[in-house]
Amino acid sequence: MDRLLAKFRAPKTGNPHLVRIQRRDKIIALVTARLRLIVALLFIAGYAWMLILPTIPTETTDKIDENALLPAQINTQWNWDEVHAADRYLDQLEHLRDTNASSAERALYLQTEFLKLGLDASTQSYTFSTVVGDSTGVNAYALLAAPRTPGAEAIIISASWQSRTGEGDGTLNLRGVATVLSMASFVRRYSHWAKDLVFVVSDGYLDGMQAWLSAYHGVSQPNLLADNLDIATSVVWVALNVDYPGHSFSHLGIFHEGLNGRLPNQDLLRSFRRISRQTGGSPVILYDHIDNRDNHKSLGMLGSMLPSWLQTPILSIPQVRKYIYHASNVLQHANYQARGIGSGTHALFHKYRIDAFTMYALPATGPHGFHTLGKVLESTLRTANNMLERLHASLFFYMLTSSDFSLKIGMFLPSVICVSVAMMFHGLGIWTSAGWTQIAATATELEKSKIVVARRIRPTLPVLAIMAMTHAVGAVLFYLVNTSAIATSSFRQVLVGLVIATLPMVLSANPKVASAQQDEDTQATVAVTLKALNICLASTVISILSVLNFSLAASLAVLLGVTLCIPIPSGSSAKWVAYVAYSALGLGWLAIPGEVERMVWGWQMLGVWTCPIVCMIYTPLVLQAVIVCKLT
Amino acid sequence: MQTPSSSAVAVGLVASRLLLATATSATDYLIHDHQLSSPLTSFRNLQEGIYLFNHGINPYSGGVFRHSPLYLSLFATVLPSSKTFASILWTFCDVVGAWALVKIWHARQNVSSTPRDGLIAASYLLNPYLVLPSLALSTSSLENTLTLLSVMFAAQGRASAALLLMAVQFHLSLSTLILIPPLLMLLISTPASSLALPKPFTGSTNRLPALIIEFTAYALGLTAASTLVCNGFSWVPQTWGATLTLPDLTPNPGLWWYFFTEMFDHFRDFFLMVFSVHLLIYVAPVCVKFQYDPLFATFVLAGVLGIFKAYPTLSDPGLFISMISLFPEIYPHLRHPLVTALLHLHAALLLPLFHQLWLMQGTGNANFFYASTLVFACGNGAALIDCVRAGLRLAIGKEVEGMVVIQE
Repeated sequence: MDRLLAKFRAPKTGNPHLVRIQRRDKIIALVTARLRLIVALLFIAGYAWMLILPTIPTETTDKIDENALLPAQINTQWNWDEVHAADRYLDQLEHLRDTNASSAERALYLQTEFLKLGLDASTQSYTFSTVVGDSTGVNAYALLAAPRTPGAEAIIISASWQSRTGEGDGTLNLRGVATVLSMASFVRRYSHWAKDLVFVVSDGYLDGMQAWLSAYHGVSQPNLLADNLDIATSVVWVALNVDYPGHSFSHLGIFHEGLNGRLPNQDLLRSFRRISRQTGGSPVILYDHIDNRDNHKSLGMLGSMLPSWLQTPILSIPQVRKYIYHASNVLQHANYQARGIGSGTHALFHKYRIDAFTMYALPATGPHGFHTLGKVLESTLRTANNMLERLHASLFFYMLTSSDFSLKIGMFLPSVICVSVAMMFHGLGIWTSAGWTQIAATATELEKSKIVVARRIRPTLPVLAIMAMTHAVGAVLFYLVNTSAIATSSFRQVLVGLVIATLPMVLSANPKVASAQQDEDTQATVAVTLKALNICLASTVISILSVLNFSLAASLAVLLGVTLCIPIPSGSSAKWVAYVAYSALGLGWLAIPGEVERMVWGWQMLGVWTCPIVCMIYTPLVLQAVIVCKLT
Repeated sequence: MQTPSSSAVAVGLVASRLLLATATSATDYLIHDHQLSSPLTSFRNLQEGIYLFNHGINPYSGGVFRHSPLYLSLFATVLPSSKTFASILWTFCDVVGAWALVKIWHARQNVSSTPRDGLIAASYLLNPYLVLPSLALSTSSLENTLTLLSVMFAAQGRASAALLLMAVQFHLSLSTLILIPPLLMLLISTPASSLALPKPFTGSTNRLPALIIEFTAYALGLTAASTLVCNGFSWVPQTWGATLTLPDLTPNPGLWWYFFTEMFDHFRDFFLMVFSVHLLIYVAPVCVKFQYDPLFATFVLAGVLGIFKAYPTLSDPGLFISMISLFPEIYPHLRHPLVTALLHLHAALLLPLFHQLWLMQGTGNANFFYASTLVFACGNGAALIDCVRAGLRLAIGKEVEGMVVIQE
């Protein structure tokens, strides 16, 4: 340390200003000479941090921040009578399924059953039209007005007709619906409810609940035709979504990611975990990932990716097995969050500031059934009923690595920020060096070895125009993929991608751009300036997005981080390879079967931002790199 | 590259602005936004005040209406206060502001037209910090126009018009007071650029007392008019008083509100004084240092207002940023323009994002938004410091290899 300080300390004699300037120059030289190293270290730190996310020592999910919740403190009343009632409802639901009952018939049945219980009940029919297909259905819902209060707040207990298994591929959630019906008949016998209880059985997978919630909150959507709700009550604080697709279940899984990467308050999930363990006696897992650390044969996709001769020695290390288990959870989370579509029907609630999650009964041959699920649901309802105000402590920014452990924002955010800072430094470095040029040594013989540098101007305005143009191309692309002609035809999608990939060639043939490249002594090239600003812009986008949707920002950091920063190869054939590689990176998503359709559906039906972000931010950023490649 | 003529640029921009303001629902989206209109400039508050006024209730008796009585009398009598008309009026005012900016440029160059005119008009009409508050019908847009008009008249040497408009502006927004000294200096000297050739102040100081008396007369006259409109002095604590005592802590992109939500009550008066006086301490040094170029001093103090005034909206820093286009001679000496631009890009994205996270989505809290206002202040501060430095550095001339400029 003393040696380090001595390096910068002023000598006793001499002009203090000179010393100060020399010290400043020394510090600047120290940083600039090692800029590449600093950038490389930041990149490595960022990516390494992402890799070790599953093993970072985390806080357990035992602590509940909100004292009013008091989870698992009640004696549950749900008993075998209720299980019997649920079984009888299930019989009738199975009958409806076997007779191919229409949506309207099913909703009518549910409404009738709710009415028989003495609840206010009604139905709502809706039609969505999107360019990738229409969907219609009928929701049924009922209200139990709070017996103890004027009902200023409400809790929703919901089940969608289709289970989240296979994300709406037709697996039915009959037992989930039966649980909701039986719960409705159960709760009305008690007078301790301080919140209105709303029971919703939505049609379809996501579409029914989207229509119902839009109508409930008075939000109109141009492509949605839905009835107004006959019964609407107060502000909804919490929603519990039940998904029970199998015959019995072994674990209760938590699905919590909402639209556009939003998460519910973690206190709700922690309460549910405690209730399920202590009251229901059922183990809790994250998603449908069973913690199979005792059985190394089934460590999921990540385990099976290892070559077979490595599996036994590597997987016998407990730390590796733990890492693989946590990493599979983190990857699944990133997948749900980055795609923005959420992980189930609960995803739609978050938009309206309702904390919601899905309790997923993992299909198995046993040992749990209606008895456990009912008890857990009852106790969770009572906990939500205890709330005196909305869950508000800053437990909205977290990442669950398993149902038992979570990462705070400070533990995962820096990984992406490191990458973003590395990009920013690199971009600023290119920008600065673009402002200087080495003049050929015209000096006298005495100074032959000295390199003379001079300032030159950077063509900022033309470069900004090029960048604006790529984003305009992105806007056109967004418009195009949202038309039915493109969204439904993968051939046309690829065609659009190819056309856009040729645009940089057209641009670089433009004489104005070509002329701007001449005279490198007085002006930096368009390519270098564009590269600097492109990297700076990408860095900004990544760091800003990281607060909103960490997984999306992390995906962008992985896709764009190093790829935008590496220097363009000089050989002409290598340049073409780079050109094609960048084009594939930026437009390749158009060629993935079904991807465009999914994104367009998410945007038009649910307002998921993935489609606009990919079209108008991601693709243009890579297009700029393609242009750099062409102009270099 | 050939620049299109200023009139073509202006017509195109104005048409698109009018279309945005009247044919889309942009106004309805933006009118509630805290970053675009403060309690002192919100159009909805103005409408409420007019409603109360028309129904015979003193609008200043409640705690909502904080606009000057001049607005009240203007909108309650001469101008209809409908949204469509307001959109047209606001667009018109922005056009006048852009025109005034171009005229200031002409006065500075002492010519009647230059190829840069279109660029300067566009820097005002396309600046998002100015467009958005104007779409949100924030009265800060009108105040910017008034400031620019006043500076324009001062630059052209038309003293009475400049002083009258400054007096009006002083009534509408008390903080503008700090622009009066450089404006008076501008009136008695010349707007031409002397940044490269600093010299002692050359204006005729003996005109100064008369100008100050004239300004005071206008200000007193407007005060009398305001008092007549309100039938008493009840407007003073609600308009000027609000700037000084900060009764409404609605969040805004400035630096005051968060401090005063956190402050212990018994320190409140002290810190109100500190924050208010803090604005004043810049006036004398800036005016002394840039005595050879009062227009530049005005520009610097507009930047100070954009960062530090009470109840700012985005249009306050926006005015400063658009005024940068008046001083192309400082561009080569700017030290970190890209860093400043990136800071502004970050702030411009973070402000609405954290505002949304805190107040709409409910997952963030006030600290998030406050952090983004700090980034914004850093961006504005970086721009201001860089401009001041470049303005001073200009006088020293071209950089010589191996030599460094230092300040004693």
